Amino acid sequence: MGKLKTITRRTFLVGSTAVAGGIAFGTYLAKKPLANPLESQLRVGEVTFNPWVLIDAEKITLIVPHMDMGQGVASVQAAMIAEELDLEMGQFEISFGVPDGAYYNTALAAEAVPFRSTDTGLQAETMRGLIGSVMKIMGMQVTGGSTTVPDTLNKLRIAGATARETLKLTAAIKTGVDVRDLRTASGAVHLPDGSKLLYTELATEAASLKPIHHNVLRDPKHWRLLGKPMKRLDVVAKSTGTLNYGIDLSFDDMLYAAVKLNPHKGSPLASYDDSSAKNMRGVSHILPVTGGVVAIADNSWRAFKAVEAIQCEWQKAPYPAEQGEHWQVVADSFTADRLDKIWRDDGDVQQAVNQKPDAQAEYKAPYVAHQPLEPLNAVIRNGKQKVDMWVAHQMPRFAQQKVAAITGHDQADVHIHQQYAGGSFGHRLEFENVILAAEIGQQLPDETIKLTFTREQDFAQDFTRQIGMARGQGTVKNGQVEAMDLQVATVSSSSSQGKRMDQPMPGPDKQIAEGVWNLPYAIPDFRVRAYRVPELAPTSSWRSVGASTAGFFGDCFLDELIHIAGADPLVERIRLCDDEVAKQVLIKAGELSNWHKPLKPNQGRGVAFVESFGVPVAEVVELTQTEHGIKIDQVTVVADVGRVIDPINFDNLVKGGVVWGLGHAMNCEITYADGRAQQSNYHQHAGMRMHQCPRIIVKGLENGRQVRGIGEPPVPPAAPALANAIFAATGQRIREMPFDKNIKFV
Amino acid sequence: MKTLMKYVLLTQLCTVAVAGQALKKPDDGSISIEQGLKSWAKIYDVVSHPRCVNCHVGSDNYPMWSGPSYGKTRRHGMNINAGNSRMGVESVMCSTCHTATTSEAAHGAPGVKASWRLAPVAAAWFGKSSDEICQQLRDPNRNGNRSFEDVAAHLNHDVILHWAWQPGGKREPAPYSLDEHVNDIMSWGWAGVPCPSDSDEALTEDITNE
Amino acid sequence: MQITVNGVQHEIDVEDDMPLLWVLRDELKLTGTKYGCGIAQCGVCTVHMDGLAVRACQLRAGDAQGRQITTIEGLGTPEALHAVQDAWIEHQVAQCGYCQSGQIMSVASFLKFKPNPTDEEIDFALSSNLCRCGTYPRIREAVKTAAAKLRGEV
Repeated sequence: MGKLKTITRRTFLVGSTAVAGGIAFGTYLAKKPLANPLESQLRVGEVTFNPWVLIDAEKITLIVPHMDMGQGVASVQAAMIAEELDLEMGQFEISFGVPDGAYYNTALAAEAVPFRSTDTGLQAETMRGLIGSVMKIMGMQVTGGSTTVPDTLNKLRIAGATARETLKLTAAIKTGVDVRDLRTASGAVHLPDGSKLLYTELATEAASLKPIHHNVLRDPKHWRLLGKPMKRLDVVAKSTGTLNYGIDLSFDDMLYAAVKLNPHKGSPLASYDDSSAKNMRGVSHILPVTGGVVAIADNSWRAFKAVEAIQCEWQKAPYPAEQGEHWQVVADSFTADRLDKIWRDDGDVQQAVNQKPDAQAEYKAPYVAHQPLEPLNAVIRNGKQKVDMWVAHQMPRFAQQKVAAITGHDQADVHIHQQYAGGSFGHRLEFENVILAAEIGQQLPDETIKLTFTREQDFAQDFTRQIGMARGQGTVKNGQVEAMDLQVATVSSSSSQGKRMDQPMPGPDKQIAEGVWNLPYAIPDFRVRAYRVPELAPTSSWRSVGASTAGFFGDCFLDELIHIAGADPLVERIRLCDDEVAKQVLIKAGELSNWHKPLKPNQGRGVAFVESFGVPVAEVVELTQTEHGIKIDQVTVVADVGRVIDPINFDNLVKGGVVWGLGHAMNCEITYADGRAQQSNYHQHAGMRMHQCPRIIVKGLENGRQVRGIGEPPVPPAAPALANAIFAATGQRIREMPFDKNIKFV
Repeated sequence: MKTLMKYVLLTQLCTVAVAGQALKKPDDGSISIEQGLKSWAKIYDVVSHPRCVNCHVGSDNYPMWSGPSYGKTRRHGMNINAGNSRMGVESVMCSTCHTATTSEAAHGAPGVKASWRLAPVAAAWFGKSSDEICQQLRDPNRNGNRSFEDVAAHLNHDVILHWAWQPGGKREPAPYSLDEHVNDIMSWGWAGVPCPSDSDEALTEDITNE
Repeated sequence: MQITVNGVQHEIDVEDDMPLLWVLRDELKLTGTKYGCGIAQCGVCTVHMDGLAVRACQLRAGDAQGRQITTIEGLGTPEALHAVQDAWIEHQVAQCGYCQSGQIMSVASFLKFKPNPTDEEIDFALSSNLCRCGTYPRIREAVKTAAAKLRGEV
């Protein structure tokens, strides 16, 4: 290992023949003088040290650096490389970046990290107006903020093109044929005489050449894979139970760990009594860890039972014990000293609302849990020379740091083996499983131990979405919305999250008012003020982050004003819209939903529009009031992502985002009593189930100037569209999530 | 007159209830109607308890979730419907989750060594008053042609009913005990299966007759 | 005790009350059957017992003795897919995929009784299988395709 670390970048790549019997291609740093003159044309932000293509005599491996938690990015990243490399889907394997243990993670980590962390170009790219303060730290390998496609579309295609041109040059030298007469298709270089050389046959010789950096990318109109329906690479494995998630891993002599942490999140364990637990069948160890206890056994269930049997005394929560107190702190936060930022101040709102406002309303959004179906887990093996951890994590670089700090190893000797995740929704941006596994490994060196959270522990320890409220007032005139003044007060999930990463988040938190301050509406007098509620219970990023709350507040209150003005909800939004891309989204949503088609008396239709992560999204909900509650019949979604890279994935993610947004708005909240979350499992926090799921009509527009991600943007408009449709059907304004506090759903 | 009418009514019912049964019932009148009604009140405490009544639902075949652990009363979650089979054959068999043993975990699925299922539609007790349930239980046309002794015997051998007193975990059991419940049924029967509205009916009869 | 899974008899040394789920996952290393909630609220652990869907987290090992247990691995394989799996792939149902073993096992059982289900019947059959990614619209389509395949129509 030590020797490998000293290998230079150049020898690492070129010399990889000796190590791996093949070649690794990446895109290269502009600062590095290379033979190809095209290098100088590279923008700084387009390069990193990630090698993304590995070819040896047996196979082609494409490295996909963004973690796949269900959003299908493993496939789409591979397709980006394959598009330029002229590979068919199925002609390669994919890896999350730690192939076969050998040199790769060490060399790559040691080389890549200091460089990427100072790569301001990349930081600038990822930060550009996307997710706000959390993104300040996202210069490193982070999956989140719907950034995968925007982040990788150019970089991975360049990696593919570089590999392709180098393989062609290799073939030219080998055969004596002019490189201009060679072409590539289906994993081979084709010669004018009709014969071909497989990439795998060229790998060894290619490794002795200086890779040709090639960043002239093909015109999208010639794409073979991208932009067309693709078969996901993992779909067979995921349909046959043959895909291993982190929780499924198994090693010889592996032990199983279960944990019980202080339900008063973040507070210490006062004392514990393990007398009944330690003698239970199969139990080998009871270990104290930060904030709780762990039981180790020879089977997960035995560990679960043992940890349950440990009697613990807990120190109390650092935050208010009762939910009512949390709400009170939020309600008390609309004050000058807690004003985080005035995000928008068009016209003269103050003067408008100094007269009698036509509408005043207060909105509430509770804590909500993430709870992907795969519970938190990690496998740890803490050896003398190195630590291995198998875990699905959205920020593996930070996970590596956390582990290193606990075990005392060099960061380079911490090997994070990235896994497929059974969902995340932001949950796997946190480190509880990583820290605990490291602490377990520290106490039981050289053992291989799999830690699995019970669902109940996962609920109890989930860092939820931010809690918040909004107060709106506004005026209307001549059938039009004239003034809208919205104050949004939430805790700062960004700073709560940052604290656990030792990353201070200076400045205002963009997430508090995200989704409302950036509404593309030319309301004559329009003000949005964000207030930062002091930290209460810990919170974190929850699919679509700030826009999931502020988007609801802003669009619903606008809907109230439009109604009071006597205008049509869609027509007035279109009239107010001052951005052409957004306007087309609204217009298309109206068309596809047959907005003006009359409904039955017990039905209602509502529209909402929120822009988040740079993606304007409009949703129209159609529902029926039945004897047994509200039944959502249909949702029409239109989103503009600049270019739809993977149409099936796009469709799936939009539908999933709608289901996520609606389901949690309908029936989910986390509340605290005695400092503990009161919801312990899915019976109290399910989200949407099949019988509640509407027909969903999806349309992606491509008018936007930039390619955008779609994982999160469909979430924020779902809740307000539902609330607005409920109003249309029943005359009842729903101003608080979850909606089932005030109205019944089937 | 009122007393007389009541007596006649009860005698007739008694005859129906015990017809053809070779049993040693206490002497007539040795268990008073008042005592029988007291027993019925306890029987009602049991049959209206969530451990029983959640599965004694009507012809819509939706089991219910009610009682202290559920907060507000609602249909069984997850859109569960037992269908006309009353055991879920049409969609999800009740036995998919309700296996041979009861989950001790909070909100886990209870189970017994018998097919988990809804009670017959005729015995739909959910949301019914004490008197409505009483009338149904003593009506052979609606109770599976059972005498009160049969009803008691049924309780003794159907293990799904025993579960109500041993629901496992932190679930609240049905009140009293299985034995006490059987005794109450016998006592109610021997008192002539009186129902709470009998006196009102008798009164009505009385007035009509006059 | 002895337990038969996917036609293979296994001798296992576990407590009677160990849920079948943990016998499958930790003793037999059949990890296609997932752990999600442990209380029959999510359905990701669905397997078949004598051909009928059952939640492996609720079934004690002792109660599985003498019965035929089938897991997702035994329903079909990538090389020899069951019709339901085939339909799942055709419709590209999976996102994270963690719930899909359970969804597929539920559907394979349900379609034995309802070879041509309506939307409403699908809603009754599958609302106890949770999908947090929200693949429900695709599941509906895939169930219908699977049913048609099983009826021999496609």
